[in-house]
Amino acid sequence: MENMKEHVDNAENLSARAVSLTESFQDDEQVGSGMSKREARKIRMKSMNRTEIAYMRRQRLFQLVWPFFRFFILFGLCFVILYPLIYMISCAFRDSVDMSDPTVMWIPRTLTLDIIKETAGVMDIWETLKTTLLLNVGCSLIQVASCALAGYGFARFKFKGKGLLFGIVIMMILVPSQIISIPQYMLFRHFGAFGFEVNLINNKLCMYLPAAMGNGIRAGLMIFIFRQFFKGLPKELEDAAYLDGCGPFMTFIRVMIPNAASSFLTVFLFSVVWYWNDYYVSSTFFNKNQTIALMLKNLSTLLSQQLFNNADVSPREQIVWMEAGCLIAILPILVMYIFLQKYFTEGIERSGLVG
Amino acid sequence: MKMAYEKRKSMYGYGFIALWFIGAVIFFLIPVVESLIYSFKEVSPDTGGMVGAWVGLGNYNYAFNVDPNYRQYLVQVLQDTAWKTPLILIFSLFVAVILNQKFRGRTFSRAVFFLPVIIATGPVYNIINGNLQSTGNSDASQFSTMFSTDLLGELMKFLGLYGISDSMQQTIETVSDNIFGIVWNSGIQILIFLAALQNIPVSAKEAAQMEGATAWEYFWKITLPYVSPMILACFIFTIIDSFTDPNNVVMGRILDLQSDWQYGPASAMAWVYFAIVLAAVGVITLIINKFVYYEVE
Repeated sequence: MENMKEHVDNAENLSARAVSLTESFQDDEQVGSGMSKREARKIRMKSMNRTEIAYMRRQRLFQLVWPFFRFFILFGLCFVILYPLIYMISCAFRDSVDMSDPTVMWIPRTLTLDIIKETAGVMDIWETLKTTLLLNVGCSLIQVASCALAGYGFARFKFKGKGLLFGIVIMMILVPSQIISIPQYMLFRHFGAFGFEVNLINNKLCMYLPAAMGNGIRAGLMIFIFRQFFKGLPKELEDAAYLDGCGPFMTFIRVMIPNAASSFLTVFLFSVVWYWNDYYVSSTFFNKNQTIALMLKNLSTLLSQQLFNNADVSPREQIVWMEAGCLIAILPILVMYIFLQKYFTEGIERSGLVG
Repeated sequence: MKMAYEKRKSMYGYGFIALWFIGAVIFFLIPVVESLIYSFKEVSPDTGGMVGAWVGLGNYNYAFNVDPNYRQYLVQVLQDTAWKTPLILIFSLFVAVILNQKFRGRTFSRAVFFLPVIIATGPVYNIINGNLQSTGNSDASQFSTMFSTDLLGELMKFLGLYGISDSMQQTIETVSDNIFGIVWNSGIQILIFLAALQNIPVSAKEAAQMEGATAWEYFWKITLPYVSPMILACFIFTIIDSFTDPNNVVMGRILDLQSDWQYGPASAMAWVYFAIVLAAVGVITLIINKFVYYEVE
């Protein structure tokens, strides 16, 4: 604060000093007339008063020390995040005997693929993957489209009752799906109207229908993100399309969607992840459903039924199978994330998360 | 028939949201109202739908006065959320500020910090968290077991914090014990803050540098006001996330009752819980909104 006041007070030298200060901020690679950086800094220091020199010193010291601090902080935190993953990989490839061996910490004594194979067998992996792709990934794709439509409607059109309707979107974010799951179950159990009824339980439609109408898993949040995003796009884009005789719907498809590609990718990733990880909704509407999240949720029961034949296997030894199951379950989205993370991490400023 | 341009545009607006609106009525609004009705009824499933008699506030009475655990669980969840939310917010803002700087390995660190976003919503998180806990590796002691010493204690001694006051030491220990949970629940918040930080205009940064602001002053006078709307957003997101987490005890109790076919009490509990969440979010939004800085454009 004192520094700042001083700058304002000493008005006569203000501009000269300001220039010298900003130069000192930049990494001045090219210093003119063959001076070294150090010499140039010395010359600049001559025209400064004491507080300024002290400020420069502090700034330089900070810039010298901070990278080390930053490295340690980030290293530690990355370790906390990656630790379970490394542990997962380490466990999945070891024999269950290694779990009770105190000398084994990270590197397994016996490397084996058996555990992975056994777990994949118990999870009936190919059938499970097929169901998950058909049901969850399919739903998430459809939901991205339906939510984009609604989000665009809220972002760009004025109509009566818009505030109230958007209130419903906010409610959808706030109300946990657990509250409405039972009325929803009854709805699908006796689906229809005017005396005509079908039982949609165990039918894929009871996940596809809400998704297609923008009411699936976390749909409120997705509509919200899309709305924020479309609000941020320049209005001139559509005006140009309208002038050329394009209707609103074609404008949306031809102009807005191509411009929104990176944000669509982000929302798509979210959507796939949320559907992929969901076990609550699919376990409500299906008596027997083989999605990967559900299989993983029930893995310990499945293991004791199919693999251990109800024999007693200590929880500590079971860890290897559980971790192998986790690895199998997250591997597909992990691979997808690795490919998409460039758009995800660099493109978030355009993802519409900030309004 | 020719409509005015504005009117036609508003009709198109209805067109765009029509699909969602019909869906919301069928799949959201009606179920919400129905579950509210259930909470006043003694219901059981029957062929053709739910049947039951009105019991007035009986289910609410059951939730508070008969159920042995509900009140205690409620307090527990509220307490947990109350101290975890600010920690998650401070932590994620801190990490976002760091990740917004330019340094080597930035892309890698960002990728790692967003990793929980894709994993933490699923059953995987419970399993790895449970497994780590059962092997005693979930908290700060994981470092200690690796280096076979009480690392946290040593660090506190080094900083001169050890043994100043018991309650402070307790606090530090709880926080470090929960570091896993905090880091793993901060993914989306870091993402939101980072996006907000990237939206700070370059002119503001340049002006601050001209005036000779230190990094500390820059954070309080530039960064914080600019991200304050997002602090509110993150705050609400964190609260909703922790309240609706199926792993918290109240949710667990509600789900238990539901699988027991006791829909009436379950709905009543869910609605009390939801009302508390809504009230908490509303009050806090009002308070924070006073401190939020919106740039006038």
